[in-house]
Amino acid sequence: MHHVFELFSDIFAFRDNLLSRLDARVKLLLALLTIFSVILSGKVVFPLLVFVTAVSLMLAIRLPVRLVLVRLAVPMGMVAVLVILQTFLIGSTPLFSISLLGRHIQAQQEGLLRGLLMGSRVLGSVSVVLLLSSVTPAHRIFHSLRWLGVPRGWVEIATLMYRYTFTLLDQTADVLAAQRVRLGYSGLKRSLASLGVLAGAVIVQSMEQATRTYEAMSLRGYQGHMPFGPLPALSRKDLWTLGLVGAGVMGIQVVLEWGLL
Amino acid sequence: MGSAMTANPLAIEARRVCFTYQEGTRALTDVDFHAEPGEFVAMLASNGSGKTTLIKVLVGLLKPQRGSVFIAGQDIRSLRPTDLYQRVGLVLQNPNDQLFAATVEEDVAFGPLNLGLPEAEVQERLREALDAVAAVELRARAIHHLSFGEQKRVAMAGVLAMKPSILILDEPTAGLDPAGEDLMMRLLNRLNRRQGITVILATHSVDMLPLFADRIYVLNKGVVLRQGPADEVFGDHEMLSRASLRLPYISTLLHEMKRYDGVPINGLPLTVGEARKRLLELIPEELIVKQMRENSS
Repeated sequence: MHHVFELFSDIFAFRDNLLSRLDARVKLLLALLTIFSVILSGKVVFPLLVFVTAVSLMLAIRLPVRLVLVRLAVPMGMVAVLVILQTFLIGSTPLFSISLLGRHIQAQQEGLLRGLLMGSRVLGSVSVVLLLSSVTPAHRIFHSLRWLGVPRGWVEIATLMYRYTFTLLDQTADVLAAQRVRLGYSGLKRSLASLGVLAGAVIVQSMEQATRTYEAMSLRGYQGHMPFGPLPALSRKDLWTLGLVGAGVMGIQVVLEWGLL
Repeated sequence: MGSAMTANPLAIEARRVCFTYQEGTRALTDVDFHAEPGEFVAMLASNGSGKTTLIKVLVGLLKPQRGSVFIAGQDIRSLRPTDLYQRVGLVLQNPNDQLFAATVEEDVAFGPLNLGLPEAEVQERLREALDAVAAVELRARAIHHLSFGEQKRVAMAGVLAMKPSILILDEPTAGLDPAGEDLMMRLLNRLNRRQGITVILATHSVDMLPLFADRIYVLNKGVVLRQGPADEVFGDHEMLSRASLRLPYISTLLHEMKRYDGVPINGLPLTVGEARKRLLELIPEELIVKQMRENSS
């Protein structure tokens, strides 16, 4: 598979470690609680603590550093843009000014603080989702969402999308390689044209795949609903883990938000 | 006289089936096809000869413009999909087309769950199906982490979990390495001989057919050229040439030795075992005994 597509590799979610052994529902609930807490934070400390903890845990379960950085690259880029825009567009207390194309642009303190807070919330939330996806196979997350009451149709679509993402990625990689060996990316104009052809090919292939898959599902009795087996009840250990870690997360947030330490 | 009136109806039968695609391609013309219960029947045809179309007609995915298909004497048009797909299962050429759940366990259980079976029976069928294709150890694996050969076996398990009495496979050995091909054919043979499942195989790979198939249909351009046991079908060289097919390699070797080198080989061996017997007939016995003594010392 092309190295770009390593971004989507889920092999680590199937590895055995302390976190992967926890019930997916417990992990999902804790992730949702943590994300909720991060979003409600009024200070940067808690979201950044969550971010550092999540990244540390990902490294502790031996996720390659390069993979963690690749997966964080996009959110960090978004945070950088967010901070810059907030700094220069929001606020009244001047920090410094820069000259750009003959005009003076002023950085504002309120904007910078607001940008940092929003950025920290983004990093905190995204890192929790990345951690969850690194220790929980996607299908277990989808089953947990169904258990939580997410509409069945959404879960079915997500399951099928997830299954076929990898097939289409492989097909895309093959088309890309075929184009590359025929100099399809040897210049800007050619590259743009090749990308357009690639996108079209992937769309056509996905439509054809959908038709074939539907036929195969019909052959095995599909009648409009994907059957999901029942989930076992949460064990006492799971409930204790949920309670203790959940209480810990909320407790830390309260302490940091209200400055009790 | 229809097969419905006989005491032992055919497992599956297509009568004078004609099918033309919407864009005008005539894929099947007056095709008669049948398989008896417990038979191993092969459809041998080169690419574009209509075998995939015939397969889709047999399982009801395509409706022929003329002709009918019967399963155990019943017209498939009168069968509900739930009933039909418990009687006949189809394994497609590309496993990606029919592995749509996240894990092996979920995919193989898909059919039985759709049938509304109790959980205990679903688990039992899951175990049996994976065992039948030697894939028990793959149970918890994600589909997209499997090798191509593993995906092929799991795709077959998914169909076997429906417990069909007829199993139709479209190019089951396509894309497999020699060991994978051998494993697949032996699995099918075991399903046929031990469990009595009627197996219908569409392929253009001739070498293994004489070992396993009871009868072979040869298709070319949507028409059945010939059907019969392997020695009859492969004995008609002109027909094989017309259908762009060849003899098994071992047969080609001995045929050419006979034709060009004057080696007096009896008949047309189709398998390595038969070829060995024929060649041993030509070697003087004292030479064989001498060689065996040398080998054992």
